[in-house]
Amino acid sequence: MQEKGTEAKTGTKIKTKADAKANIKAVRHIKRFWPYYVMVTPGVIYLLVFRYIPMLGSVIAFQDFSVVKGIAGSDWTGWKNFQKLFQYQDFYKILKNTVILGALKILAVLPVPVLLSLMLNEVKNQKLKKGIQTVICIPYFLSWVIIGGLVFDLFGSGGLFNHIRNALGMKNLLVMQKESWFRPIYVFSSIWKEAGWGTVVYLAAISGMDPGIYESASIDGAGRFQKMRYITFPLLTPTVLTMFLLNIGSFLELGFEQVYNLYTPMTYAVADIFDTYVYRAGIQQGQYSFATAVGLFQSVVGLVLVVIFNHLSRKYSQEGGLW
Amino acid sequence: MIKESLKDRLFSGIITVILAILAMIAMIPLLSEAAISFSSKAASDMNRINLWPVEFTLDSWKYILTKGKIWPAFFITLSSALAGTVLALGITSLMAYPLSKKKFKAGKYLMVYVVFTMIFKAPTVPYFLTLKNLGLYNSYWVLVFPHILTAYNLIIMRTFFRQFPEEIEEAAIIDGCGHFRLLARVVLPSSKAVLATLGLFYGVTIWNQYQHPLMFIQDMDLYPLQLKIRQIIDGGGDFQAITAVRHVNYTEATLSAAAVVFAILPILVFYPWLQKYFAKGAMLGSVKG
Amino acid sequence: MRKKSVMALFLVGIMLTGTLWGCGNDKGGESSLNSQSGSSEEGQDEKTDAADTDDVVDLEMWITNPGYLAVEKGGVMYNFYKDLIGVGLTEPYVEWNGGQTYGEALNMRIIAGEMPDIVQPVNGVETGLAKEGALLDMTELLPEYAPNLWNYVPEKTWNVMKSYDPTGEGRIYMIPLVIDYTRHGAMIRQDWLDKLGLAMPSTQEEFVEVLRAFKTRDPNGNGLSDEIPTGGRAEARWMDYLFAMYGIAMWEGFPEWDIYDGELTYSAVTPNMRDALEFISGLYQEGLLDEETLINDKASWDGKVSSDQVGVFYQWPERSYQYATDIYNAVGVKAEWTVMPVISAEGYEGFYTTKPTAGVNNVVKNTEDPKKIEAIMKVMDAYGDPDLRDILTLGPEGMHSHRDENGNLVKSPVDKTTQEHLLLDPNGGFSDVESVVHQLELNMTEEDAWAIEKSIENAREVQKYGKVIAGDGIPATIYDGYDDIENRTLYVEYASKIIAGEWPIEKFDEFVEKWYAAGGEEVTRAAREWYAATQE
Repeated sequence: MQEKGTEAKTGTKIKTKADAKANIKAVRHIKRFWPYYVMVTPGVIYLLVFRYIPMLGSVIAFQDFSVVKGIAGSDWTGWKNFQKLFQYQDFYKILKNTVILGALKILAVLPVPVLLSLMLNEVKNQKLKKGIQTVICIPYFLSWVIIGGLVFDLFGSGGLFNHIRNALGMKNLLVMQKESWFRPIYVFSSIWKEAGWGTVVYLAAISGMDPGIYESASIDGAGRFQKMRYITFPLLTPTVLTMFLLNIGSFLELGFEQVYNLYTPMTYAVADIFDTYVYRAGIQQGQYSFATAVGLFQSVVGLVLVVIFNHLSRKYSQEGGLW
Repeated sequence: MIKESLKDRLFSGIITVILAILAMIAMIPLLSEAAISFSSKAASDMNRINLWPVEFTLDSWKYILTKGKIWPAFFITLSSALAGTVLALGITSLMAYPLSKKKFKAGKYLMVYVVFTMIFKAPTVPYFLTLKNLGLYNSYWVLVFPHILTAYNLIIMRTFFRQFPEEIEEAAIIDGCGHFRLLARVVLPSSKAVLATLGLFYGVTIWNQYQHPLMFIQDMDLYPLQLKIRQIIDGGGDFQAITAVRHVNYTEATLSAAAVVFAILPILVFYPWLQKYFAKGAMLGSVKG
Repeated sequence: MRKKSVMALFLVGIMLTGTLWGCGNDKGGESSLNSQSGSSEEGQDEKTDAADTDDVVDLEMWITNPGYLAVEKGGVMYNFYKDLIGVGLTEPYVEWNGGQTYGEALNMRIIAGEMPDIVQPVNGVETGLAKEGALLDMTELLPEYAPNLWNYVPEKTWNVMKSYDPTGEGRIYMIPLVIDYTRHGAMIRQDWLDKLGLAMPSTQEEFVEVLRAFKTRDPNGNGLSDEIPTGGRAEARWMDYLFAMYGIAMWEGFPEWDIYDGELTYSAVTPNMRDALEFISGLYQEGLLDEETLINDKASWDGKVSSDQVGVFYQWPERSYQYATDIYNAVGVKAEWTVMPVISAEGYEGFYTTKPTAGVNNVVKNTEDPKKIEAIMKVMDAYGDPDLRDILTLGPEGMHSHRDENGNLVKSPVDKTTQEHLLLDPNGGFSDVESVVHQLELNMTEEDAWAIEKSIENAREVQKYGKVIAGDGIPATIYDGYDDIENRTLYVEYASKIIAGEWPIEKFDEFVEKWYAAGGEEVTRAAREWYAATQE
């Protein structure tokens, strides 16, 4: 964008008519929008320095990076690190696990804060509402080590889950070592830890809604549920859509912490994902090149998904996508 | 105001009850940490603590608050969170505002520029070297600068700005208001809910951060709160050695629980205070008024 | 209108000053920052002063630090070492976190070209460093300038270090980690045996009978059937003694290399392992193994031991006093943890794995500076100096040690808020059973003598059952390129599922097949090549 600006300034020297026309257009654009350019400049420079410049270092994905030789001195290996990933004997297993858990996160976890926000909006007692709003955020501030530990306690032999089973005359069941229980526990713990915090953005969006609409709806005889269903929810859709697009970009990056603190060797078969594999094979062993290669793969998939869903959301919603 | 029907009150009541139950479930992690922090060494050694302290004692808290050198770390974290939030809100709103304008055609390309940074992340090694070259190694400012603009928050802010009624802005423009003045005078003052949300996001990120300080801060005097906590917790790891028996009434587990609770308390005080900006109609109300 | 635009300007001004104020507002932090940098500058002044006057060479050293304070120039520990060996040692606080955080921090320092002088390597970083010439070649230096260390470490171990030279020249770049004694063993509650009138088990049948009695006959006498006869931790760890009955080489749950069927083999893929898993699975099904064995973390398992519930467990016998005092503190029972003799399953010869060459303890950054080399050799020599061992273990009086009523120096209890890291601890890197016993003696107080004396007895007793495995000192480089084999991912999955009864024992054959196919073949070849080379 900046280039366009400088081009416009030197534009007078250019002779041809078409160019001149384009230049007049550019000059007009600059004249009209220069404050916008000034406003975005700090952010653009910031992203350049703190994000783009280090991002160039992703070239180590194509190296056999050595901590002694550095980026400049390490040997180039082409696609070897990617081949290693794709030829990994359990590649399809971790891909499948990652896709399933990623999909669960989008389908089962992402909508929960929306629902919670709509519900919070219906609480009449303001003090109670504030209290609940604060309390449901708390788990977000605790680490996965703590939450994971509590999940293990809850489902352990002395935990609440087995107390209930015993009370119902059933024998202890250690679900933390059952493959079939891993995914439900993953979803449950995600909701427990993150759903409350997720409401913040939706509650802010709800606070921005015009009270006038609600008043006229009340006059028309709409009940609370109708208002929630036909006013609040539709008005919340752009925010929901944005949150969805923000999350889909990291579809394959579920984070290492959560799974690592919830899985056991007996659930590896359904719980091992890219991030845990990279932890084992990459970071733990100091293989930065391999870790970077896996990261690039995850990012490329994320990019494709964002592009697709951005396109779709522009097609079906007037608010449009991210760009 | 029309009086609410019985059905509405019932609807609201049921929802309130459900939420109250969920809130109690959400309280479990903090309650259990608090219970551990007030329990004795014996109870902690035996893992006998659930949601209520066993053999109540204040020893862990005394240790944390007086001997643990947690206060300097607390003030470092507090000051960096405040500085970072103010800087972040400035730079983010400056950028988000133009990007929310549909008529600003270049915004589309800038959005791609922004989204790209959300999807592609810098690998550890070059990131470390870049920040080190910027002089941020072992510097207080490494707690602040890496967190003052994220694509995620920028996009959220832009989404909010998009919903800002155009008529009001156009009216202001006709009144001869320039873009800067418009942003400062009209848009931001009526976007308190957004600023509160984003401020909370940035502030909490800085408050809770440990990856950056872990990587960049070696001087113990510059340790933020979360690193201090990790230092306490790390002592309880798998490491084994012959040491003299300690006749004290705390363990690594009770100390780290106290430290964890200590780190959360300020957020619990701060968040309800912020919530007044989330009150319904806060945004438009102030625009009209 | 005019008024309005002035107002607007004013607001922009407020916005900007708001930003500035934001920076100003954190003056608290900044001023403390300034005062810190101020103080560190002062420290620097001292440094130059000190350098001028007494010409001490400073070395930066990185060793596992479980939460103690950093060792800073001019501090207590710094002066302690300076006075003792004439070298200034410093160490920043680096979080250990199972080696992960430490390894990352170390890598970053190396990448930035600022490798510390003496380093405890993790994750095999030393191989790359040696290959690139970043490490000091100590082959000639050690015998001449660090004779104490050179003589303390067995020659066989030095030869293993020579085999670690990635250039194949047989140079010594690495200081070994020597554990010249049997460190692990099973311990049983002797007081429970006595109470139930049972004899120490010596066969597998007797052992299982003892476990049954522990489970059903309420040895802790609290009226509840809450006893856990035995157990271990997740990933089938910390119950090695059950595997040991079948002659399996294993180190804290990690299968090791030993001679099986005449050849060096990974113990996890032997018929011994098949039989061991079948036996352990049987114990689990019968409820003699803690139900949560396969999900216990350290805190959970230690918690059960401390709760006076566990009858037999696998640990370092030298640490039995810590568990005994924890139980005493919790329930008031003086638990008598006694080493259980190794039991051999039928047709097998049982033993506890001993690995004198447990790995690499230190590497040194390459340097040409003769003064620095001299200082480094002083440190290395101090490590092996028998005359310095006590004082290095005890640390400075007033911080790590104090005088008891008889005027003898004894260790003080751990207090990580005031104690700086005792970074030059010979016991961490070079230990044998006598040094362990001596360390225990230094930590003894009248109050804990009952427990510590038992620990000393245990530490000596377990030596009878140790065997040095053939794979002692095997380098991690044999696993290069086979991360899942090195991380034993496949093994823990199959072992856990078989023990839990999720899978029948027949699945074990599938595991062996898969293991060889996933790189076990190549790793085994590399291991055998290394073994053949060191046997020469």
